Amino acid sequence: MTPPEPAPTPPPGFVLHKKRLRFLGLTVEDCIKAFFGGNAIMSIVVLALITYFLFREGAGFFGQNRQNLEVYRQAGLEYVDYLRQQTDDHTALTRYLSDVRLRALNHYAEERKLSFEDASTALAPFDEFAGKFGDAVEPLRGLVSELSDVATAIKTKFIVNEDKKEERRQLLAENKAAEAAQVAITPVDFATELKPLLGTLPAYKDANREFAAQLTTLVSRVPALPTPDLQQRMARWQQLARDYLATFPTVERNLEQWDYRQPVPAWKSFSSFVFGRQWLTASFWQDWYGILPLFVGSLLVSLVALTLAVPLGVGAAIYVNQIASTREQKIIKPCIEFISAFPSVVLGFFGIAVLGQALRLLSQQEWLAWIPGFPYSERLNILTAGCLLALIAVPTIFTLAEDALNNVPTALKEASFALGASRLQTTLKIIVPASLSGIISAVLLGLGRVIGETMVVLLCAGNRIAIPDFGRGLAVITEPVHTMTGIIAQEMGEVVRGSIHYRALFVVGLVLFILSLLINYLAQGIVRRYRISIG
Amino acid sequence: MNPPQHPFSVRPGAVHHREQPVFWLFRVATYFILACGAAVFLNIVVKGAGTVFKTEAPFINTTFLTEAPESLYIFEWEGKKMEMGDREFRAFKEQNPAAAKVKAESFVYSAGGIWPCIVGTVLLVVGSMTIALALGVCAAIYLNEYARDGAFIRFVRLAILNLAGVPSIVFGLFGFGMFVIFFGWNVSLLAGWFTLAFMVLPVVITASEESLKAVPKGFREGSLALGATKWQTIRKNVLPYALPGILTSSILGIARVAGETAPIMFTAAYVVRDKLPWEVEQLGDFFFQGVMALPYHIYVVSSKIPQNEYTERVQYGTAFVFLVIVALIATVSILLRNRLRNRYRW
Repeated sequence: MTPPEPAPTPPPGFVLHKKRLRFLGLTVEDCIKAFFGGNAIMSIVVLALITYFLFREGAGFFGQNRQNLEVYRQAGLEYVDYLRQQTDDHTALTRYLSDVRLRALNHYAEERKLSFEDASTALAPFDEFAGKFGDAVEPLRGLVSELSDVATAIKTKFIVNEDKKEERRQLLAENKAAEAAQVAITPVDFATELKPLLGTLPAYKDANREFAAQLTTLVSRVPALPTPDLQQRMARWQQLARDYLATFPTVERNLEQWDYRQPVPAWKSFSSFVFGRQWLTASFWQDWYGILPLFVGSLLVSLVALTLAVPLGVGAAIYVNQIASTREQKIIKPCIEFISAFPSVVLGFFGIAVLGQALRLLSQQEWLAWIPGFPYSERLNILTAGCLLALIAVPTIFTLAEDALNNVPTALKEASFALGASRLQTTLKIIVPASLSGIISAVLLGLGRVIGETMVVLLCAGNRIAIPDFGRGLAVITEPVHTMTGIIAQEMGEVVRGSIHYRALFVVGLVLFILSLLINYLAQGIVRRYRISIG
Repeated sequence: MNPPQHPFSVRPGAVHHREQPVFWLFRVATYFILACGAAVFLNIVVKGAGTVFKTEAPFINTTFLTEAPESLYIFEWEGKKMEMGDREFRAFKEQNPAAAKVKAESFVYSAGGIWPCIVGTVLLVVGSMTIALALGVCAAIYLNEYARDGAFIRFVRLAILNLAGVPSIVFGLFGFGMFVIFFGWNVSLLAGWFTLAFMVLPVVITASEESLKAVPKGFREGSLALGATKWQTIRKNVLPYALPGILTSSILGIARVAGETAPIMFTAAYVVRDKLPWEVEQLGDFFFQGVMALPYHIYVVSSKIPQNEYTERVQYGTAFVFLVIVALIATVSILLRNRLRNRYRW
């Protein structure tokens, strides 16, 4: 056998196996791929960074809040608040009485045509009664204001001390031991400080006994009122007053059992945030960081917005997709897309300048008085913000719902027509149910858009931090609220970095972030789970 | 006589007539939305046009567009009502010493113009879009050209989807925590750029991917078959065809960046600043300065000053300029995209 001929070496220009340039074991191609891959990871990195920084700035909140609550207890603020609650409840009853008086006065003036003097004379027994009732609380109120001063003084002392400790720590960190030693810290001895506070308990008990006795006699002797309706109200008041009297022993027991040494459990700092009904900052008494009023505000505004936006957005999607002619489609779709480009701050400005006033005027029309909450006087409220947010949500819902309708296989439509269904039947019974998952996810994403919207609610929701009065039924939508997004935008610029308030705002941001992830997750889950596909 | 009907044509019967009211309901919903949008738009355009345009030549209120905001002073002078901006008022007082004691009502930001805000917004948009495009296009190239379906890619896509749903105020908080505080950039252009860029990243990635997908597979296969490497293929045969689409779709991202207020509130925007951005001593300072921005200015003038006939001019004027800029960008983007979709048919 002849040995195989060696393959002829190709001319240098035709080398197939070029030696590749390698860099850390990677070819140039691999490097390019890695570069692009790195960019793709960016979105994950950003998401992780957002999570990290929200946690980083917000995590300290719960520790600080616990300390905040501990001081609240140790300085005796909690003790005083038990008493204050009692006087506040009394004030509520007094307010009820003055409401009844106003109604009675109206009755005298309008139905019996009495002059103001005569009406006042007729109400004299009532006034005397109300006056007695109101005065009964005075000793108690005096006690509360006295004790408030004591408690505030203790708290101030404690805070000054903490500041000094911080100062010393900083001085030590800067290696200025001599100066650090000069910072005088007198530790607050809560036991002695609280003694005058706790010493008032017997006096309080005496005062309370007398107070209770006075009220009991007063409640059993309510003055007569002119109409059955007012009588009924008075009976209701009597009931309320008796309930109020029944709370007295509990208050006393609370005061007796109260102990400043009782530790504040860690979950308390969490639950006072999640279920706290007050968001009160920079107050002279005690700061509260409860997210509930903000959360409820966000939720109410979003609900109003969605109630308006869902029928409109989905209706428009059905119209454009199923009913409109091609020419109409070509005009409407870009127009709605154009609406989505409206900057939210401009919409907010529109709300302040035009819509708030217009809606209030509308609410004062007589033929609209049947709508709950109408007429109202607050220009900026849930309704104003909700209407504007609806305009923001509509394009989102429309675009996504239209996509969903578009994705329904034509075979379904054709089959329906072939069976003799009319256009409306096909649309409502075949197309819409088939795309329902897409429509629901569109609504959810609309909700996400609305709940995260900042400028409109900041400018138009009224910014009153309180849980609206749900006792008014649907009329609740005419009350002003504050929202989670709004509070961050409003207060972030003014807080001290690292303070508990600052961290609380980051925790609110964290709640928003988690909420948005949750909504996204739900929307995607629904689409994946219920998608109709014809194989 | 009626023309003979086609045997298969739909004859409007009872069912057809019963359908009509329901169809009208949907129609009304649709046009109601358009009417609301038009009402907002027209209200701002009509009232704002009074500030921006003038009845005599050159028809455009150049002071409003080219000067910084000032306080407005209103006072009575020799029986006449005078309105003057801050500087003008001071000059007037120097000329007429008797005017020094005149009682003037003042409204902040209500005179002068919005030039620094326009400049700031343009700077913010240009910077953040550059960053977002660079990151977004590269990410889209990876997702569309290199990646194979797998757990990792699904995770990346999930992250993009979720990023798109994060509220803008959360981006603001994040930018504040990371760039302003952790990196120590303070309230600066740079912090604003990155915050906005990250916010708009999902939009850019989605738009770029869509354009890359529109380039037919044959282009890539042909190039690869001729021995080109993957990168050569992408560079020479994919990107040139996808780039117009990427750019036009990304304009919608510009509208979003320009329109958002919440992310720049604590990362880049100043309520008021005397100097224009290029009046800096060193080049490095340029990136670390806060700017005034149109959306933030609207927020300030609509919430921090009272509403009356004098302040209304600047409020509506600013809103008008801002809305027109954003609307123009959006319209261009929508129109271009629709034309482009029909342009290339492979």
